Amino acid sequence: MTSPSLHLQDWRAWLPDGDAERDARIVTDARPAGRSLPAMLRRRVNLAGRAVADLLAELDPGADSILLHASRHGDGERTLELLYALAESAPLSPARFGLSVHNAVLGVYSIASGNRRSLQAIAAGGDELAALFSEARGYLAEGAPRVIAVFSDVPVPPRFAAHAPASRGAAALAMRLTLDSGRAIHESPWQGGGEPPQPVDVIAWLRTGGELGSPLRGRAWRLAP
Amino acid sequence: MTTDLEHELKQLIIDTLELEDVTPEDVDPDEPLFVEGLGLDSIDALELGLALQKRYGIQLEADSDETRRHFANLRTLAALVEARRTQ
Repeated sequence: MTSPSLHLQDWRAWLPDGDAERDARIVTDARPAGRSLPAMLRRRVNLAGRAVADLLAELDPGADSILLHASRHGDGERTLELLYALAESAPLSPARFGLSVHNAVLGVYSIASGNRRSLQAIAAGGDELAALFSEARGYLAEGAPRVIAVFSDVPVPPRFAAHAPASRGAAALAMRLTLDSGRAIHESPWQGGGEPPQPVDVIAWLRTGGELGSPLRGRAWRLAP
Repeated sequence: MTTDLEHELKQLIIDTLELEDVTPEDVDPDEPLFVEGLGLDSIDALELGLALQKRYGIQLEADSDETRRHFANLRTLAALVEARRTQ
């Protein structure tokens, strides 16, 4: 039995440091507007969170798609602040705690948009793209008409940077995936080495095609023209 | 007419709860702080309780009717701080 094939119907991205020359699908603002969130919710999420909410609002206008959000590091800033507070026996901020969890961004988006479908947060130690595709295939095989897969990361805080792979920049992307509508995503074995793909690499692949490999999973993906 | 303490509490609320687009003038001392009026939520209530503990040494029960009354609006909050502050 072959695994269900994935198709890319549409995508959006946030690329603050990039040279995204006039691609209407890419937002380059250093500080994303976060217009899809009311101000009282917007204040709760970091810059990547604002960006993700805006990307989702474009790809999920009916607020009725299954949503996946992968991030290797999540909100490292808030998490480290909490750990430092714990180390000093200081009381923890409930708001910071609530929003340091990995599903915080999708949670905030779902409150704002009213989306009550499945939401799933993923951290896969560098294998985020492969994990997103696997999970999306599962939901689509079960009959979901589409899945929106989001991948975002920002550089980890400087105090932690020596312990994490070098970040190639803050970025976020969202892909609307289906089984049969849009550009086919062909998967093949990958023997090449290289670094695990970060959001900036996936955005480059979405823009220009070619082969994108995941050295951890040993798989590569190619976008049909 | 806003007292010094009320003004201090407005600033505390804005800073602690990261109300990025709100100025002290926007906070009406007689309007509700939660749900309606300023529109704060339950996470804000916990955060505000923590701020009152840090700044004024006031310990509150997390989910009592009494706390609800103290958190009704800025004036009731100021009255609480006047009565119970230890620092």
